[in-house]
Amino acid sequence: MKPFEYKRPSSLEEACTMLAAQDGRVKALAGGTDLLVQMKQGGLELDALVSLRDVPGLDALHLEEDGSLIMGSATPLGAIENSPDVRRAFPGIAEAASFVGSMQVRSRATVGGNLCNAAPSADTAPILIACGSTAVITDGQADRTVLLEDFFSGPGQTVLGPGELLRAIVVPPVPETGFAKYCKSFRSAMDCCTVGVAVYSDFVPGSAVVRDLRLALGAVAPTPIRARAAEAMLVGQELDEALTDRASLEAVADALPISDLRASAAYRKVLVEVLSRRALTAARAWAERGAVA
Amino acid sequence: MSTCIIGKGLPRVDAVPKVTGAAQYTVDLKMPGLLVGKILRSPHAHARIKSIDTSAAEQLKGVLAVITAKDVPDGLFSFYQWLADKNILCGETVRYIGDEVAAVAAVDDDTAEEAVSLIKVDYELLPAVFDVHAALEPGAPLVHDDKESNSTWSVERLFGDPDKALAECDFVVEGTYVTHAQAHTCLETSNCIAKWDEKDRLTIWTNAQAPHTQRQEVARILGIPRRNVRVINSYMGGGFGSKLVMDVKLPIASVLSRLTGRPVRIVNTRSEEFTTGKTRYPYTMSLKTGAMKDGRIVVRDLTVIGDAGAYHDKGPATINFSSMMFGTLYDVPNIRFQAQMVYTNKEMGTAFRGFGNPQLTFATESQLDELAHKMGIDPLDLRLRNSNCSMGTTSCGAEICGCAMTECMEAASEAIEWSQKKARPSDGTLRGVGLANMVHTGGGGRFYGYNSAEAFIKLSDEGTVTLITSALDMGQGSHTTMAQIAAEELGVSLSDINVLSHDTELTPYDLGSWGSRATFMDGNAVQAAARDARAALAEAAAEMLEADPADIVIEESKVWVKGSSEKHDLFEIVDHAVNAHGIPISGTGQFVDKLPEGYTIPTAFAKNIPCFSFGTQAVEVEVDPETGQVRVLRVVAAHETGTTINQTMSEGQIEGSIAQGIGFALMERLVRQEGKVQNDRFLDYKIPNIGDMPEIETILVESVGTKGPFGAKGIGEPGLVPTAPAIANAVFDAIGVRFHELPITRDMVLEALKETR
Amino acid sequence: MKQELLITVNGDEHHLLVDTRRTLLDVLRDDLGLTGTKNGCGAGECGACTVLLDGEPVNSCLTLAHEAAGRDVLTIEGLSSGGVLHPVQQAFVSQGAIQCGFCTPGMVMTTKALLDRNPDPTREEILAGLRGNLCRCTGYVKIVEAVEVAQCLLAEEELV
Ligand SMILES: Cc1cc2nc3c(=O)[nH]c(=O)nc-3n(C[C@H](O)[C@H](O)[C@H](O)COP(=O)(O)OP(=O)(O)OC[C@H]3O[C@@H](n4cnc5c(N)ncnc54)[C@H](O)[C@@H]3O)c2cc1C
Ligand code: FES
Ligand code: FES
Repeated sequence: MKPFEYKRPSSLEEACTMLAAQDGRVKALAGGTDLLVQMKQGGLELDALVSLRDVPGLDALHLEEDGSLIMGSATPLGAIENSPDVRRAFPGIAEAASFVGSMQVRSRATVGGNLCNAAPSADTAPILIACGSTAVITDGQADRTVLLEDFFSGPGQTVLGPGELLRAIVVPPVPETGFAKYCKSFRSAMDCCTVGVAVYSDFVPGSAVVRDLRLALGAVAPTPIRARAAEAMLVGQELDEALTDRASLEAVADALPISDLRASAAYRKVLVEVLSRRALTAARAWAERGAVA
Repeated sequence: MSTCIIGKGLPRVDAVPKVTGAAQYTVDLKMPGLLVGKILRSPHAHARIKSIDTSAAEQLKGVLAVITAKDVPDGLFSFYQWLADKNILCGETVRYIGDEVAAVAAVDDDTAEEAVSLIKVDYELLPAVFDVHAALEPGAPLVHDDKESNSTWSVERLFGDPDKALAECDFVVEGTYVTHAQAHTCLETSNCIAKWDEKDRLTIWTNAQAPHTQRQEVARILGIPRRNVRVINSYMGGGFGSKLVMDVKLPIASVLSRLTGRPVRIVNTRSEEFTTGKTRYPYTMSLKTGAMKDGRIVVRDLTVIGDAGAYHDKGPATINFSSMMFGTLYDVPNIRFQAQMVYTNKEMGTAFRGFGNPQLTFATESQLDELAHKMGIDPLDLRLRNSNCSMGTTSCGAEICGCAMTECMEAASEAIEWSQKKARPSDGTLRGVGLANMVHTGGGGRFYGYNSAEAFIKLSDEGTVTLITSALDMGQGSHTTMAQIAAEELGVSLSDINVLSHDTELTPYDLGSWGSRATFMDGNAVQAAARDARAALAEAAAEMLEADPADIVIEESKVWVKGSSEKHDLFEIVDHAVNAHGIPISGTGQFVDKLPEGYTIPTAFAKNIPCFSFGTQAVEVEVDPETGQVRVLRVVAAHETGTTINQTMSEGQIEGSIAQGIGFALMERLVRQEGKVQNDRFLDYKIPNIGDMPEIETILVESVGTKGPFGAKGIGEPGLVPTAPAIANAVFDAIGVRFHELPITRDMVLEALKETR
Repeated sequence: MKQELLITVNGDEHHLLVDTRRTLLDVLRDDLGLTGTKNGCGAGECGACTVLLDGEPVNSCLTLAHEAAGRDVLTIEGLSSGGVLHPVQQAFVSQGAIQCGFCTPGMVMTTKALLDRNPDPTREEILAGLRGNLCRCTGYVKIVEAVEVAQCLLAEEELV
């Protein structure tokens, strides 16, 4: 590694000022689980790292009164996975967090780092997009918000400008009739995801009729994406087996995977179909259980 | 035989230092003035070096030496010196991505890394060849342009008349089987420290499986007397064959140390370990098997093309060994084995647990199932009919002393519930069972033209037994095995024994820990040394207790005269003997594995093996039809141990082998593009993790007839040999598709399933 | 660029001058001589470098030393006290869960963290908890057994 400065600001304002300097050769350091690997092995050279460790409030994790979830960007994934609140109100998010790396990685890895690193395969992105989350961005003075699905602009790229930080993620409440789940390929291995599919679905009470639905795909395009054609096919319809199959196939059409070391494009397409089917089937099963009750 | 210590699953003698972090591995050593060495490696698969400019690196603050080919002896090296083909540092030509070009010694890691990046090398690219078939084409680029072709080594073995047998037998199956490069991935990467002393002697600390032969190798390539080289081992973080032959980082560190006058350490990064740490040799095998209606296998005919990579290393020895196992697994009267190793512009292969046998067994044991299928008989039945249970000499000359192949098959098939599972009606899940047999050496080999070992024991008045053995412990537990053998024979407890094996200055000359050899060879020597020490002790005791040595009883650290109720503490006797009577008590033991009559290296073939070990693995798998994922649910491994010395450790050897076998079968393959390894990290080159492991049941089958210590055989390698074909056979049982290539990946399975639908 | 670092390791406070590039693993091994913590990959993929940082298991190879400033680090050397092995260590010894031992310190520290957090894990939870720790020697069979035995030993200790 080339030498760099290590800074540890104690306020947001200070952090953003530090990040604005040194034209681009400075980065925020959260858990470091992406950054350190890139610097040690990927040839990333920086003049400075700005540690978020001592910036107050960035690791806040709580439920608002209206049921929405606020996650400070520097909240470790381990904290999200183990939070009783998240497990109860957003089990799909807790589960998705638990799929990332290992227990040790999740002690350090943060949700903000996962999103800001902007790997197309980031495991928390699909479920948070499917849940309709918002990214709260700050320049140290004021906040702006963007829908998380608009946060990514390319592999490794986000809409964050120089001197801007992701401050928090806000996940809107899931109604009692809503269900969210993330399906990842081969979670037994410590795997950077080959393909991930997340579904959020809100059903007409007592039925399997879809009122609102988002289907998000990871690792099959330059950024995490929504499978819009599949979604359109599902909204307003009763989710039965035949429709699940058709929509899963349609999701494949939305995917633009590449071939790499981890899987071929063709194989990724198969996985999109399989995982979409698994996610939708889980949603249907949930709705049907609800309908019976 | 009633034993106190042999056969018990006692904890390892080194468990406590390992579990507290006190155990020092070579990478943990510190010494004053230690410098960091780093190697500049070729970025090209094949190129001529036009010029090297090291001036910027030399000027960097903190750099103490920069070396290139002109600074090192220009002799070539290989495991077999008469096949030498590898420079310490490449002067003219680089032959694979990772080949050593230059090296630096600096005060710390970052400086060394920067210095390496400042060395400028001007290359002229040469055409490269990555595939064995392309390498054999006329006009293919030559990996070594001083050689006539890329075919570097060939072996032919012929027993009986295979052509005639093939023409006359009732059933023939044939097929081509392919395996790829598997990496050892020891958790501790290859590393060393080199240091010269004022007497011009070189000491190398390294994690070597064979310190004595590596000492010779270092002396040979540096052109210095052997007596001036000393190799010291520490605790070792795995070996599996990768640390058998000297790595050129040893002479490189030595030269850097000589120039700087300070100790120099070189440690492989994980990426270097993947890309230059050597691999299992990839084999392409065309095989024919012929059988009669009654199931008797009468002929086997195999052609192997082995991928050597850029240099020989252990290639010739590996393929020779394959031929011996090919001829021995079943007693087949007509056998032809034709093989060649072929140079390609890739990382070279080397020894890897199983030594050419897992590849071969994948072909032979897969094909046996194909034969059974063709003949319409149960694969287990076919194997039982051909079980190698002779206590004599097989058609290819293998002398089999003690063989429990049938017992292994019976035990494994029963435990996996073979007949019930074979008869099970399909219930929609894609489950299947498969099994495979294996044979391997259980006692090293006579390949050097000899096979021997020696050990020393001394009893100290303060109450310890020091055992000096060359049975190096790279993790497999040979220190514990040796201590158990010595303790049992001497009549002391395990904790009384202190094992030293780490220093060539101290230990007797030895060929090293390979070929499942240590238990059999060094174990025998240790037993002999313990017997010798026991006799010395008995004599001293007899003198002190005024009795006949023949009447002295030594058991559980107590000494007494037969019939007397007065028991003396063993170490009290030693204390008296040493301090009151001036009688030192020690023992020496040797084991010389006698060569069979008429033995010559070129003709010995399977007579090289002093002791064979048989085994069977039966596995159950489940295939996910949607993703193509093969999950191994259960493995039953029945292996011969002769006599089990340590139950827990024997199981551990087999369980660890199975994990590597599952990797070989389903996950592991170094992927290259234009010769460049793409998966040089654990996230991309997956080895089994804890979630990938099936339930494993290990059955240790004791058998008689071997000449090992207490009747034991080696168990270090056998567990890996049959795993892959057993899995491939189970996958066939599950989905009706036969895979001829490893690893069987998810997309291969999915593709095949699509075709069958 | 060196900066001051105050760090507590196994209960001892250290005041060091440390280059900003160095990881916690580097400092433990090179500056403090605590070589029980191993480097198997340097990239978070093998778990050999696992230590507890304020009780949380982390890959010390991916944690900059300065990020641990003012915090409590527990390494394998700090686990046993006064020559008595910690129950997790005892279990690894008694079950034969150790071969070459290079993965062992990381395995033990991860197991401790797992059982601290969840004293009564299911087998599934054990597998999930240890999936970041690679072992090339044992095939993990005896490691899983050791975790289960440690679980019992700790529960017994709790009762006393
Ligand atoms: C062994 C291993 C396994 C892994 N497995 C997975 C996996 O299964 N799934 C998966 O998705 N990922 C995986 N990862 C990747 C990584 O752990 C995650 O992406 C993690 O969430 C990154 O978070 P971090 O806090 O460590 O980020 P850091 O490395 O600290 O930062 C990552 C990037 O985000 C920027 N950044 C961080 N926080 C902010 C902020 N608040 N505002 C602006 N920019 C910010 C940084 O500047 C940097 O560019 C794995 C990594 C390793 C080493
Ligand atoms: S060394 Fe840190 S995870 Fe491998
Ligand atoms: S015991 Fe060797 S890596 Fe686990």
